Amino acid sequence: MPAHPTAGGGGPGWANLGMDIVSVKRVRRLLEDHGEGFFERMLDPGELADCRTSSGLDLLSLCGRIAAKEAAFKTLRVRGRFLPWRDIVVRRSDGGWPLVELRRGAADMAAQSGITDITVSISHDVDYAVAVAAPILGDPSGLRP
Amino acid sequence: MSEALQQVKDWILKRHPDREDIPGDLDLIENRLIDSLSFVEFVFLLEQHCGRPIEMETLEVDAIRTLDAIDANFFRAGVK
Repeated sequence: MPAHPTAGGGGPGWANLGMDIVSVKRVRRLLEDHGEGFFERMLDPGELADCRTSSGLDLLSLCGRIAAKEAAFKTLRVRGRFLPWRDIVVRRSDGGWPLVELRRGAADMAAQSGITDITVSISHDVDYAVAVAAPILGDPSGLRP
Repeated sequence: MSEALQQVKDWILKRHPDREDIPGDLDLIENRLIDSLSFVEFVFLLEQHCGRPIEMETLEVDAIRTLDAIDANFFRAGVK
C-alpha cells in the first residue's frame, strides 16, 4: 500500500492534531537491553545531545522527543507507513521549547498535504511523556485535489 | 515455520503474554502487537535474523503486517 497523506481532507483551513504518550518503563528497557546506540535509529546526534545531561541520557527528555516525533507524524495522516523516525527531527530551541524539522520523506509527505511546518509541545512527569502537535498549513489552494 | 520466523513470533509473544499464539495471517498492526516504538526494535530483530539492513524510513507497513508477510519479504525472498 503506497503512502497516502490525507491531512487536508477536512477542507480549507482544516488541520489534524497529533498526540502521543510514551512510557518511561518501555524506553528504559530499550536502553538497558540495547544501550544508547540503539536510539541512533530514532534520533539524530543533535537530538541525542539535547537529551543528554552530565550523568548521561535523560530518560524523560528521550521519551519526550519520541512522543513529539510520533505526535508530529500523526498530523500528516499517512497510511501504510511507519513513523520515519530520522526524518522528523525535534530539537530544543534557544528558548527551551521544541522545534520540529521535517526532512526527506517526512518533508515530502507534509508538502503533499499542504503542511509547511509542525508545532509541538511536550510535557512529562515521572513515568510518562506526552506530546501534542499541530500542523501549520500553507496556501489551501496549493493542496493537491 | 522457519527457525528465524519462529524467533520473531516468540519475540512478539514474549511482549504480549496475554496471547498464546499468533496465526500467520493475524494483522500485527491492527491488533497492536507492533507499534511505532516497538517497530524500531522489531526491525533491529529482523535485521539480525535476515542478515541485511532494513531501511526503516521507506519500509511499508504491509511488509510486516503479518507473520506470513514477514516470512515472504524477509526470510524467503532474496535481497529486496
